[in-house]
Amino acid sequence: MVIKRIHMEVLVACLLALAGVAVAGGSLELGVGWTDSGPDAGYFPFYVGLLLAIAGFANAIWTVILHRGETEIFIDSEQARRLLSFLLPMTAFVIVTLLLGLYVGAALYLFYVAWRQGKYNPFWAAGLGIGFAISLFVVFDTLFKVPLLKGPLEAYLKIY
Amino acid sequence: MKKTSITLAVAATLLSTVGAFAQWVPERPVEFVVASGPGGGTDNFARTIQSVIAQHNLMDQSVVVLNKGAGSGAEAFIYAKANNANPHKLIFGTNNVYLLPHVAKMAYTSEDLVPVAALALDEFLIWVKADAPYADAAEFIAAAKANPGSLPVGGSQSKDTDETLVALIEQKTGAEFKYVPYNGGGEVGVQLAGGHIAANVNNPNENLGQWQAGAIKPLCVFSDQRMAESDPVHGDTGWHDIATCTEAGIDISSYQMPRTVWLPAGVSDEQLAFYVDLMQKVSETPEWQEYVANTSQTGRFLAGEELSAFIDNSETSTVEVFKAEGWTAQ
Amino acid sequence: MENFGLLMEGFQVAITPTHLAIMVIGVMLGLVVGVLPGLGAPNGVSLLIPLTFTMDPVSAIILLASMYWGALFGGSTTSILFNIPGEPSSVATTFDGYPMAQKGQSTRALTLAFMSAGIGALVGVVVITLLSTWAAGFALRFGAPEYFSVYFLAFCAFIGMGSSAPLKTIISLLVGLALSTVGMDTITGTLRLTYGLNELMGGVSFLVVVIGLFGIGEILMTVQDGLHFRGVASRIDLRDVFRTIAELPRYWATLLRSSAIGVWMGITPGGPTAASFMSYGVARQWSRPGEPFGKGRPEGIVAPETADHSAGTCAMLPMLALGVPSSATAAVMMGGLMIWGLTPGPMLFATKPDFVWGLIASMYISNIVAVVLVMATVPLFAALLRIPFAVIGPVIVAICFVGAYTVSNATFDLWLVLLFGVIGYVFSKLSYPLAPLVLAMVLGHKAENSFHQSMILSDGSLDVFWSNPLVGSIMTLALLLVIVPQVVKLIGRLRSRGTLRSVH
Repeated sequence: MVIKRIHMEVLVACLLALAGVAVAGGSLELGVGWTDSGPDAGYFPFYVGLLLAIAGFANAIWTVILHRGETEIFIDSEQARRLLSFLLPMTAFVIVTLLLGLYVGAALYLFYVAWRQGKYNPFWAAGLGIGFAISLFVVFDTLFKVPLLKGPLEAYLKIY
Repeated sequence: MKKTSITLAVAATLLSTVGAFAQWVPERPVEFVVASGPGGGTDNFARTIQSVIAQHNLMDQSVVVLNKGAGSGAEAFIYAKANNANPHKLIFGTNNVYLLPHVAKMAYTSEDLVPVAALALDEFLIWVKADAPYADAAEFIAAAKANPGSLPVGGSQSKDTDETLVALIEQKTGAEFKYVPYNGGGEVGVQLAGGHIAANVNNPNENLGQWQAGAIKPLCVFSDQRMAESDPVHGDTGWHDIATCTEAGIDISSYQMPRTVWLPAGVSDEQLAFYVDLMQKVSETPEWQEYVANTSQTGRFLAGEELSAFIDNSETSTVEVFKAEGWTAQ
Repeated sequence: MENFGLLMEGFQVAITPTHLAIMVIGVMLGLVVGVLPGLGAPNGVSLLIPLTFTMDPVSAIILLASMYWGALFGGSTTSILFNIPGEPSSVATTFDGYPMAQKGQSTRALTLAFMSAGIGALVGVVVITLLSTWAAGFALRFGAPEYFSVYFLAFCAFIGMGSSAPLKTIISLLVGLALSTVGMDTITGTLRLTYGLNELMGGVSFLVVVIGLFGIGEILMTVQDGLHFRGVASRIDLRDVFRTIAELPRYWATLLRSSAIGVWMGITPGGPTAASFMSYGVARQWSRPGEPFGKGRPEGIVAPETADHSAGTCAMLPMLALGVPSSATAAVMMGGLMIWGLTPGPMLFATKPDFVWGLIASMYISNIVAVVLVMATVPLFAALLRIPFAVIGPVIVAICFVGAYTVSNATFDLWLVLLFGVIGYVFSKLSYPLAPLVLAMVLGHKAENSFHQSMILSDGSLDVFWSNPLVGSIMTLALLLVIVPQVVKLIGRLRSRGTLRSVH
C-alpha cells in the first residue's frame, strides 16, 4: 500500500474544508450578525469556519494545479506497516482503558508492546507493565490524590 | 398535650438521626465535586470544608477534591446525574444548581440532585469608584436614569447571579445600565478600580482589597438587615455602616447567594442524613466561623425543610427575572 | 531605595532553617508535578492548600510559590526530551529543544533551558522588587481594549514572519481559532459548537490537543521511520553542562529581549504562555542569521524559557497587588491567601509587609535552589533517552493518555488525544505548521472575549482601540511587527534584484 503525497494533500485539504463548513454551519443557529453591542455569539466561529472552508478548498485546488503528476510518496508499505503496528495497540489501549480502567489498560499495553515488539521475555514484560501501573497508582492516586480511571479489577480489590 | 407531642417529635428526630448515623457511613473515599475551577469561591468553600473535616476527624474515609467547572458549573451537575444514587459524590455549588437549567439547555435538571445543606450566604453590594460623584445608591440610580444605557456595570459571567441582580435592579427602579460580563469577581473589582466600568455588584471579599485601599466604595447591600459589626475597613467605615438597599430606596429586600452542598438524586435517607449531620458539625467549628468571617459571608446553616423553602423561594423569584428579561431557555 | 530596605527585612523573614527546608521541599515537589504531563502546578498547589491551613501565612506562601517555580522548571524537561510539554507555557520550548535533543545534545538543550529560565526568573524578581508600586498602578490602566491589544500584539509578534507555505499557516491558525471557540462563551453565556455533546461543553482542552499533536504525533513520526526501536546512545558528560553555561553569554541579546517581553506580558495580563510564544517569534525574526529555527537553534530554547519564567515571576505582582490571578496556579494561591485571612489588593503591601517582602525575598532564593536542583537532574533525565524504545515508547504513550485524562477526568479526552495524535502526524508530514494552531488556541478565546467586551463598552465602535495613547501605541506596535518585516523583505528582494541587474 503506497499513498502518494499529492493524494494525501488533496484529501487533507478537503477534510479541513469540510471541517470549516461544519464549524460555519454550527455557528449559524447562534446568530452570526453584528448587534449594537458588538458581534453575536456565532460571529467569530462562523467567519473562522467560512475562511477555513475557503482556504481548505483553495489549497486543494492549488495543489492539484501546481503539483499534478508529482510522484513524491506520503507513506510506503513498510512505513504503513510499522505505523499500524504501533497505532493499533494504542487504539486497543484506549478501548481496554475505557472498559477496564487506566491501570489495567496501561499494564496490558506495556506488556504487549514489550513482549511482541520489543521481543522481551514475557515475564519480564509483564513485570514491566505491572510495575508501571503500580508506580502510576502510587504517584497519582496515593501521593497527589488525583484519581485515575478505575475499572472492575480495582472494584474487586476494593481499591477506590 | 402539645408539649408531649413536641417532646415526642424531638425524640423521634433524635432517634432517627442517631439511628441513621449508626446505619450508614461512607464505605470509600468521598469525592468533593466542585462546580468551579480551582481558586474560585466555590472551590475555596469545598476545600475549607475538606480541611475542617480532616482537622476534626469528622469522617473516617478520606476526601478527594475534583474541579468540574465547565459550562458555568454544569459539568459537575451532569456528573452528578451520571452518578445517580452514588452516596460517595458530594457536589459543591451555589444557586447555579437550580438556576442554570432555566437559562440554557442543559443535559440535567435540578431533580437530578438532592440538596444536603447550605452553609453560608454571600452578600451582594453596589460598588462604585471612590471618587465617583454619588453619595448614595439613590444618586447612582438617578444618574443611570439620566443617561439610560450608558453606565457600564461589570459582573462575572453572563446570565449568572451578577447579571440577574443588575436586571432585577433595572426592573425595580426603571434605570438602564450597560452590563459587561468578565471572567470572575476579582477581575471585575480591578476593572472598577481602574475606572473602566462605573459600578459592579461584587460579593464583599471580591472587592475588599480595593475598598481597603480606598480605590472604590460600597453604596448599599442587598439584604433585609445590615451586615455584621466589623472593624473599620477603610477610614472609619466598616461592613455594618453600609446602608441596605431598601434604606437607599431600591426595593430589593434580599438577594443572596447560598453556598450549597448536594448529593446525586436516588441516595437513601440515611445517606442524606449522614451528610446533613456532617455539614452541621462542620458549620459549628471555629475554623469554619473564621472562614466565614475572613470572606465576609453570612454564616447560616440551612437543611431539610428550611433549605427546600429557601431554594423554592430563590428559584421562583429569580425565574421571574429571567422571564422578564427573556432569558429562559425553551 | 525604600524597597531595598524592605527587601532586606524580607530576607530576614525568608532565610530561616525552616523556610529554607520548605523551599527545597516545595521545589522538589514542583519538579515532580512539572515533569509529569498529567500533573501541573495547579494540581500540586491545590493539593497542598489544606496542609497550609495550620501553617503561618509566610511559610505557606513560600511553600506554594516554591512548588510553582519547581513546576515551571520541570515542565521544560519533557518538552525537550520527548516533545511533550509538561506545562502549557513550555510548548514553545519544544520547537527547538526537542530537535536539539534529537541530535544527541540533550544535556546542552536542558542546560540552556534551565539556565535561561533561571535568568528570566531573577530578572522578574528584580523588576518586582524595584517597580512593585509603579507596576501595580500601571496594570490598573488595562481595560478590555488594552487586554485585546496585548493579545493582538502577541499574535502579531508570532505570526509576523511567514516562514512556510502561507496558505497552510493560515489554515493551521484557523483550525486553532475554531477549536478555541468550542464550549461555553463567557460573554454571551451560550454553548457553541458542541453539536449536542456534553463532553464538549467545557471546550476542547488546550493541554489535550497539545499532548496529542506533539507527544503522540511525534512518536508516530518516530515509529514510521523505524529509527529508534533501539535506544539512542546519548552522550552524558558533566563537562557539557559547564560548556553550555559558558556558551550562554553569547545569547545576551536574546536573554535581554526575552526578559523584557516576559516582564511586559507578566505585568500586563498576557501571561507566561503568550509570553513564551511571543518571545520565540521575536527571536526568530530578529536573531542574526545562522542555522534555521525549528532545527535545534540555541536561541529557540533560550527565548521562550527566559520569557516564560520572567512572566511567571512577574505575574505574582498583579495577584498580590490587585487580586487578579494571571494563571490557574495564581488563582489557586489567591484562594489560599483569602482562606489564610489575607486580602490581596493594594493594601497588602502596606498592611502585611513581612508577608509580601518575605515572599519576594524567598523568590530570589527558591529560584536559585530550583536551578541547582534541576541541574542536578540533567544527567538523570538525559539517561532516560538510553532506554530502548520498545519500553520507553509505550511508557510515553501511556503517560500522554494519563496526562490527558487528568485534565478534566474525562474519558472523551482519550479519544481526542488519539485523534489529535493522528492529525499531528499528518500535519507534520504535509508540513502544516503546528505552532500557529497552538497559539490560536491559547489566545483565540481570550482575544475574542476582550474584543467583545470592548465592543459592548464602546457601543460597537472600533475607534476604542485607538482611544488613548496606551492602547493606541500597543495596537500600532502590533501592526508594525507584522508590516515591517514584510517591507524589509521586499526591499531586500528589490535590492538583490537591483544588484543582479547591475552585474548583468
